[in-house]
Amino acid sequence: MDQRELMTLQHYLKEYGQQAEIFVSQLELLENGRMEALAAIEALEGMLVSEDGNVLLQIGGGASVRAKVTEPEKIFLSIGAEVVVERSNKEAVEFLKERIMEMEASQKKVSETLDRLRSQMNEINKRLESGYQQSMAAGQDED
Amino acid sequence: MFGGLKEKLQAARNRLGSSIQGVVTAQAPPVPASIQAEPVASAAAQNTSSPEAPTFVDKLKVLIIERELIVSEKDVAEALAELEMTLLESDVALPVCDAIIAHVKKSLVGKHRKIGESVDALVVGALKSALLDVLGKGFDLAEFVKSHERPVRILFTGVNGTGKTTTVAKIGVYLKNQGYTVVIGAGDTYRAGAIEQIGVHAERIGIKIIQHQEGADPSAVLFDTVQYAVSHKIDVVLADTAGRFHTKSNLMNQLEKIRRVMKPDLIVYVDEAVAGNDAVVRSAEFDRTVGADAVVLTKADMDSRGGAAISIAHTIGKPLMFLGTGQGYEDIIPFDPAQVVEDLLGSEP
Repeated sequence: MDQRELMTLQHYLKEYGQQAEIFVSQLELLENGRMEALAAIEALEGMLVSEDGNVLLQIGGGASVRAKVTEPEKIFLSIGAEVVVERSNKEAVEFLKERIMEMEASQKKVSETLDRLRSQMNEINKRLESGYQQSMAAGQDED
Repeated sequence: MFGGLKEKLQAARNRLGSSIQGVVTAQAPPVPASIQAEPVASAAAQNTSSPEAPTFVDKLKVLIIERELIVSEKDVAEALAELEMTLLESDVALPVCDAIIAHVKKSLVGKHRKIGESVDALVVGALKSALLDVLGKGFDLAEFVKSHERPVRILFTGVNGTGKTTTVAKIGVYLKNQGYTVVIGAGDTYRAGAIEQIGVHAERIGIKIIQHQEGADPSAVLFDTVQYAVSHKIDVVLADTAGRFHTKSNLMNQLEKIRRVMKPDLIVYVDEAVAGNDAVVRSAEFDRTVGADAVVLTKADMDSRGGAAISIAHTIGKPLMFLGTGQGYEDIIPFDPAQVVEDLLGSEP
C-alpha cells in the first residue's frame, strides 16, 4: 500500500467520522425531544390529580415559581408547522405519546445508519493499520 | 420515506370516505320529500350564481332524474378538519395546508357522482389532485442542462450541515450517468476540511475539481472553475459553497458576490427534509436574499413526516428537484410529484 492510498484512507476515515458526528448529534436531539415529551406527559397527568392545582413553573435559568393552573383540562399544544392548538389534557397526552413513538422509530433508523458507518470506519481502520505495518516493515527492510 | 404521512393520509382518506358514504346512504332513493317540495322559483333565483356551485336545479336534477350524489360542506366539514390537523402534525406549512384543504373541499363539495361508483376513488382522486397542485411539476435537471448553453453553471447554497457537499457529489454522479461532463468548484473555503472533503468525493467519483487554499476567496475559485469548464468544453459546473445561515449578513454578501462573478444559470438551495417547517422557512429566506431556482432536500429517507417535501414548492414557488435518500452516491432521486403522490395514496388502505 503506497502513501497516496494511505492518505486516501485517512480522508475517508475523517469524512465518515464527520458524518458520524452529525448522526450522533441528531440522536441527541431526538433523545432530548423524547425526554421532554415524557416530562410533559408526567406534568399533564400530575396536574389532573393535583388537589390544589399548584405546580412549580420553571421560568428559565433554573428558577421556578409556584403557579396555580386554573384550567388543567385545556392544553395549548404545538402540533407542528408552528401551529398551536387547544386540546384536552387526555388528547395532549395521546399526541405526545404518538410523537414519542415517532421519535423512537427515527432513533432506531439513525442508530442503524450510525452502526453501518461505524462498521465501515472499523474496516478502514483495519486497512490503515495493515497499511502502516506494511510501510513500517518496508522501511525496516531498507535499513 | 414519509411513512408517517402515508399512514396519516390513509386514515384521513378512510375518514373522508366514510363521511361521504354516510351521505350516499342518506340520499339513496326514495328521494326525501322536502327536496321534491322546494319551490321552482328559488331554482330560477339560484341559476344566476357561480357556475361551479351546484344550483338547486342541479341538485334536483341529480337527485331525482340522474340520482347522483350531492355532498354539502357540512357533510365533510369534520373529516376535513381532521385532515387539516393531520397535515399540520406532519409539519405541512399552514398556507400549504389551507391550499390542500380548499382544493379537496372544492373537489368533493357539490360533486356529482353516479351512485355505484366507488366513494374511495372519489376521495383519493380529490386528495391526489390537491397534493399534485401544491407539489408543482418538479424539475428535470438533465433536460435543463440539455437546453442551455454550455457550460451550465449550477450554484449550491444552503445552511450548515445539511449535506450540501455530498449532494454536489451525488448530482455530479447523476449528470455523469446521463452522459454529461462535469467539473466541481470547491467554493467552500471557509469550513476546515471542506476542500479535502469535496476533493475525496471528486476523486472517488472521477470528476475534476478546481480548488484553492483554505480561506481563499470563493468567488475566485468558482470563476476559475467556470474558466476551466469553458476552455475544456465541460458541460456542467457544480459550484459548492460554504454553509451559512441567512441571518449572517457578511456571508450572505459573499454569496451575492459569488453570484455576480460566476453568473449561475441555476441556483440550487439544499436543506434537509428532517428539518420540516424550518427548512421551508429557511428556503423562503434564501430565495428572498440570494434567490433560488430549485430545491434539493437531503435525508428524505430519515423523514417520516414529509412536511418539508410537501410544502416547499408551494411556499417559495420554486420546484423541488431531488430528494437525497441515503449515504451512497447513487442515493438521490429526481423528485417526481406524480410518483410521490402515488406512493402516498396509491395502495389500498
